[in-house]
Amino acid sequence: MLDINCQYKSVEVSGKKEINMKFYKPKSLLELFETSEKIEGKKYFLAGGTDINVQIKNGMIKDEPIIFLNHLTELKNILQSDNHIIIGALTSFSEILESELLKNKLPFFQNSLKNFASPLIQTTATIGGNIANGSPTADIVPLLLILDAKLKLFSKSKLREVPISEFYLGYKKFILKRNEIIGAVLIPENAETGYETFYKKIGSRKALYIAKLAIAGLKKISNNKIEEIKLAVGSLNEYPRRLFKVEEYLKNKLVNEIDFADVEHFLQKEITPITDLRSDKEYRYRVCINLIRTFLNQ
Amino acid sequence: MNINFTLNKKSVTIDVDPMKRLLDILREDFRLLGTKESCGEGECGACTVLLDGKPVTSCLVNAVHIDGKEVMTSEGIAKEPIGKLLIDCFDETNAVQCGFCFPGFLVTSYHYVKTDGEKNLNKIKKALSGNICRCTGYQKIFESVMLACERKPLMNANER
Repeated sequence: MLDINCQYKSVEVSGKKEINMKFYKPKSLLELFETSEKIEGKKYFLAGGTDINVQIKNGMIKDEPIIFLNHLTELKNILQSDNHIIIGALTSFSEILESELLKNKLPFFQNSLKNFASPLIQTTATIGGNIANGSPTADIVPLLLILDAKLKLFSKSKLREVPISEFYLGYKKFILKRNEIIGAVLIPENAETGYETFYKKIGSRKALYIAKLAIAGLKKISNNKIEEIKLAVGSLNEYPRRLFKVEEYLKNKLVNEIDFADVEHFLQKEITPITDLRSDKEYRYRVCINLIRTFLNQ
Repeated sequence: MNINFTLNKKSVTIDVDPMKRLLDILREDFRLLGTKESCGEGECGACTVLLDGKPVTSCLVNAVHIDGKEVMTSEGIAKEPIGKLLIDCFDETNAVQCGFCFPGFLVTSYHYVKTDGEKNLNKIKKALSGNICRCTGYQKIFESVMLACERKPLMNANER
């Protein structure tokens, strides 16, 4: 194993500051877990680096050890197994956007990611990184939530599958145990088949924006009656969230009989809207209700 | 750590901190000053280079990520036939004013003209959406890339 202990010069706007950092580049997954177990205290796993480099620049990451992952090609793949599409955690967004398999099986999922960051970021950013960075505004998560995706979590002695709706516990808090990583994302191959689909990302620019609000939905309506509905939001709550209570309320209702005051009531029960530099909670709340209305009426 | 990579078609080896940004490696270790730093957060595209043929913001790429890979900067692209074509087109349409964003636009446009090259304004806008210009405006930049797409078929087949 390459165990590098060296000085890293962190460049700041005001000048240069030298920080001691410890780095590890494990040769295999097994070595990764052995290394990870030996490190006490806080550590970071580096995938594409598009979030971590910004956090280093802003001084949010100081001298914690960093374990490099991106060279582990076994986690960089899109394949089909049984009834699932499996996307390795280190697969980049440009690989997702170029995948023929996804184009055939999950075109709505693939098309919805076209506005993810910019083409320059899509080349390096990874699906696992987008999930594990834990941002409330992670673009891919609302889509994975409505597609009933599961995460395959790897540790030294165990593999387990967790629905992505159970992965987040709070702001940047996960169900992950110590020394456990996201290995892959599993999406049922027919997850979007037969549904009417909806994805809207609201921002201040046409390109390269971080969402003020993102909403993803799937519905099956026949004779004006909502037979099935799945809704998920990003940037509204402390973590992207599936709206199970709103779904439950809407199911089996006639579209023209929906009382949106009731929708708001159920939304309030499961969401605590956030206010940040991009937008405030009142705006986010209102837009969310309006977009649910748009989706149901379209 | 020692890393090996191809820089503008030449094989190079350096001993470098694994987290050092590709942007700083290019500017400090190789004195390739065409690659600019502006936002340092991947939002402006001034530091764009090609990594294994694809455009990336070099401020978000670490030394450890370029080991064994191919890096092409604006300096390398300026020597390529399509790079030269683009520089002429940017010149003709007066698309460069202060010039700070230009190397980044050159790299991203090069990738578009080389790999796609369709004279399609929407596709060009999408391809260049990660690069920001704050003075000339985008209209002339789009015009110059459209012009390059128009002229590409006139080039010798081995240069395209």
